[in-house]
Amino acid sequence: MNKNVLVLGAGVAGLQAALSLKELGYRVTILEKSSSAGGHLKDWDKLYPGNISSSGLIDNLISALDGTDILYNTTVTRSEKSDNGFITEISSGEKIDSGAIVIASGFSLFDARIKEEYGYGIYRRVITNADLEALFRSKEIHKMEMPAKVGFVHCVGSRDEKVCNRHCSKICCMTAVKQACEIKEIWPHADVYCFYMDLRMFGRGYEDLYYEAQSKFGVNFIRGRVSEAGEDKDGKVVVKAEDTLTSRPLKITLDLLVLMSGMVRNTDNKTISDVFGIPTGEDGFFFQPSPLINPTSSDSSGIYFAGSATGPKTVAESINEARAAALAVHKFLSKD
Amino acid sequence: MKPGQLLWPYINFSRKIRTMEEFGFKISKSTRIDLDSACQSLYNQIASKVPDIRTCINCGSCSASCTAATFRRTSFRGAILHINRGFDKKAVEFLKSCMLCGKCFLVCPRGIDTRNIILEIIRSEEG
Amino acid sequence: MKERLVFGYDPFVLPFLTGMIFIIGYLLVGTIRIIICLNGRERKRLLTIFHPATAFRIVKDIFADCLLHIKIFKRNVLLGYMHASIAFGWFMLIVLGHIEVMLFTPQRNGILYYPIFFRYFVMETEQTLRGSFYFFVMDLCLLIVLSGIGLAIYKRFKSHRLGMKRTTKLRLGDNIALYSLWLIFPLRLLAESFTADISGGSFLTKGINSLLHSFVSNPSNISMVWWAYSSALGLFFFALPFSRYMHIPTEILLIALRHAKIEATSLRDGYSEAEIYSCSRCGICIDACPMTFNNQDVKFTSVYYIRLLRRRENASVPAGMCLMCNKCVELCPVGIDSTAIKLINREILNKRISFDYTPVNLSDPEINLAEAGKAKLLYYGGCMTALTPSVSFSIFKILEKAGIEYIHMDKENTICCGRPLLLSGNLKDAKELISKNRKLILDSGCQTLLVSCPICYKMFTEEYDLKNIRVVHHSVYINELINNGEISVKKSADSCVYHDPCELGRGSGIYDQPRSVLESIMDLKEAPEEKRESICCGGSLGSIALSYNNRKEIAKGSLNNLMRYSPDILVTSCPLCLRTFSSVNEKRTADIAQVVYEHMI
Repeated sequence: MNKNVLVLGAGVAGLQAALSLKELGYRVTILEKSSSAGGHLKDWDKLYPGNISSSGLIDNLISALDGTDILYNTTVTRSEKSDNGFITEISSGEKIDSGAIVIASGFSLFDARIKEEYGYGIYRRVITNADLEALFRSKEIHKMEMPAKVGFVHCVGSRDEKVCNRHCSKICCMTAVKQACEIKEIWPHADVYCFYMDLRMFGRGYEDLYYEAQSKFGVNFIRGRVSEAGEDKDGKVVVKAEDTLTSRPLKITLDLLVLMSGMVRNTDNKTISDVFGIPTGEDGFFFQPSPLINPTSSDSSGIYFAGSATGPKTVAESINEARAAALAVHKFLSKD
Repeated sequence: MKPGQLLWPYINFSRKIRTMEEFGFKISKSTRIDLDSACQSLYNQIASKVPDIRTCINCGSCSASCTAATFRRTSFRGAILHINRGFDKKAVEFLKSCMLCGKCFLVCPRGIDTRNIILEIIRSEEG
Repeated sequence: MKERLVFGYDPFVLPFLTGMIFIIGYLLVGTIRIIICLNGRERKRLLTIFHPATAFRIVKDIFADCLLHIKIFKRNVLLGYMHASIAFGWFMLIVLGHIEVMLFTPQRNGILYYPIFFRYFVMETEQTLRGSFYFFVMDLCLLIVLSGIGLAIYKRFKSHRLGMKRTTKLRLGDNIALYSLWLIFPLRLLAESFTADISGGSFLTKGINSLLHSFVSNPSNISMVWWAYSSALGLFFFALPFSRYMHIPTEILLIALRHAKIEATSLRDGYSEAEIYSCSRCGICIDACPMTFNNQDVKFTSVYYIRLLRRRENASVPAGMCLMCNKCVELCPVGIDSTAIKLINREILNKRISFDYTPVNLSDPEINLAEAGKAKLLYYGGCMTALTPSVSFSIFKILEKAGIEYIHMDKENTICCGRPLLLSGNLKDAKELISKNRKLILDSGCQTLLVSCPICYKMFTEEYDLKNIRVVHHSVYINELINNGEISVKKSADSCVYHDPCELGRGSGIYDQPRSVLESIMDLKEAPEEKRESICCGGSLGSIALSYNNRKEIAKGSLNNLMRYSPDILVTSCPLCLRTFSSVNEKRTADIAQVVYEHMI
């Protein structure tokens, strides 16, 4: 039995899968395309529910994985099936032998510059949710002058045929509400507005967060998608939306506009798809033959998925899938 | 019985209504939308030509970006919502000052062919 | 030359004769119908075709377009030769035939069929110099025509070898005319070969004659072949009005009308009728049309639209679909302006639609420029630019660097320039918007109107009559700023390709200035189809009914053409093209103002 397992991606799903596999007695090699482990989570601040430190979670996983090989700045170039698994060639030229493969390559954040009408990259006061998380994490936010009015635009790059992303990114509504509350905690006197199409507060405790945002923090929720943002002569952002609930067009001047960029397919999905022969769906995420019953299985024997490589996921779901994938690998490799 | 005697109760009743109107009492239509009786024939007719009209999620991007909305209440979303509820004439009111500039088409997240539907709605109401 | 038959007549000429009389009558009636539909002013203009200069130009065009098909040669030499050989070859055969009659049997002048069947009625030996010369030239022309027919048959099977990806689907009338046309010349060859030893011939006809000598000398065989030849001609003439070959005579009338500066004013009559019948269904517009990136939309191309009109069927669907990119008009070898006819079609379809712009109040402080002060340069962003702020943002940075004062006319609110309304067939309401915008512009006291959208540019220059105000597109203006040294740019190692927007390129003839700007800042690559052949991005507001998914396919197809030589950046000068391409382009798409700003010193 080949006790080697290859894991693609050192994000939360990849790290958790590697940890579970290590605990089951397998020798794991993790490939990571960037120069550090942790994926998107290492750049975020607090996770909900529970106010968990995002980077703390990652640090715990990494220290538990002490001794496991993580190859940084590495991508895959070729892979072939062998008698007892796979031979995968990586960018350094090295060939890695493994009995099974776990694809935990994750997602990419939607590049908000594509939605040019919101002015990201053009207007100084327009930032994305990732930028805001980074400001929270680095504590830079406390050095900023208080913005009197802050706006959040939901569904940037998601549910939008015009940028070829029909899917909903699942977690941005909850993240927007969380970040709105966090802004209010820093600046209780700021006016915060959330411009949404639908509010998807599906998880346990999410609706409570929404309730708290309204009752405790006084966040304003406006049902209307922002169509364009402009700059006034002071450099403040002027936002146009329709207040659909009163059926009238609406305009407001904000000091800070936060765009909730969605989760889209990883830019390297095509390469991984070609190398391992696993197809992607129309939305660019990897195809799951049985998403309801076996979400971690691919249609290739010996290749498993974990995390947002197969679609937008919460951190809890990614961790669960990673454990499930590890068990599936264990069952697969024990067959010999 | 004479014909007049047969008809008398009805004549008297309609007389009563007229008098009631003179005093300010009216039989008014309910403000409630009655979906049971809403006439969606125009909506269905347009949907057969431009099926995307059914995919509107009422996000309001069209109304927000509308060039004409700053001068007169113009809303593509409002128009198709009203023909769906059976208020065809009201729908045309929402499009009276449309300049066909196409901004609504560009921002629609569902990719709905807005200008085609606008012309269909107005064309149907012009007789 | 001696005549073989004393009366100069044989019954076999009847099919040809009746066909000829039929088609001449049909053409006369058709021409009268078209002229009747012209109004008084147009009829006066029609008389100008008799001026010597105009008449000369008409004859020159007839030679260049109808006979030599020079425009088709420019597209593909083989395709051009195919058309020219048949047209010009046949023309020479007819002309030489008439010359022969005039010179040798002048007593038969005026008999319709005599020049066509000269070889049957006349005896001559090729021993005389003039005999051998004429026989040789006629055989040569016949050979040229036959080579064209051979290519035409080949084109039906392998059209891509002649540069055409798709050809028009033919109907019954077309097929009858096509096959009879193909038969005419082989039958002529056979017929003249059969009589070559009696009436003389040259290398081709004598050659065949000697090969099949015993079969050929039989008089009943001779008669049969000439009957076949005459019947093929007759059948062709009878089928002509119901086929695409009607373009042969109609194009001559169209050229004359065009030189008399007559334009299309109705959907089906007058000049439009001449255009509709001049369409040869060559199919060049099919490959030109960007809608063919969607196979199921091939039926909306101009050739099928015109066929619907010719059959007096309802053509409202293709009329509403058309992107109005004008590539088919640009490439049409006959010069049919199908876009103008579609516009008239839309005017009829949308006649009852009217809008009300009375609430557009010019004293509204958000559009009124009274408070804005005076500047010589007025910038009009237009509706689209609000959704592509990188364009106006970059332009303002460039203007500020050059120290040019400007007023942003529609900073708060825009009144649409009116072109989308006009393209939907509603000129009446567009005029209202025009008058409002025009008042704002003229009252501002500016000298230059700077626009960044080609749609607005075309509208302002063609429909607004802005007196002495110079209307300039930002790509042209930036080119001037660079040339005059008012801004300086540095060159980078990036490569780019330029997309010609339909309204700026084909629509306004501006191809070179944007390229000159890009060459000074980056390595400018070409695209296989560019300038007047550039492919519409698919986002055009000219189309009313094209769905978003179909537009996306057009965008992808147009993008493939642009990305052919792998440039780093796709540069365009239209906000609509910018939006349309950036949603399908994985590499960077940018406006020309933006890349200039990034390269400014």
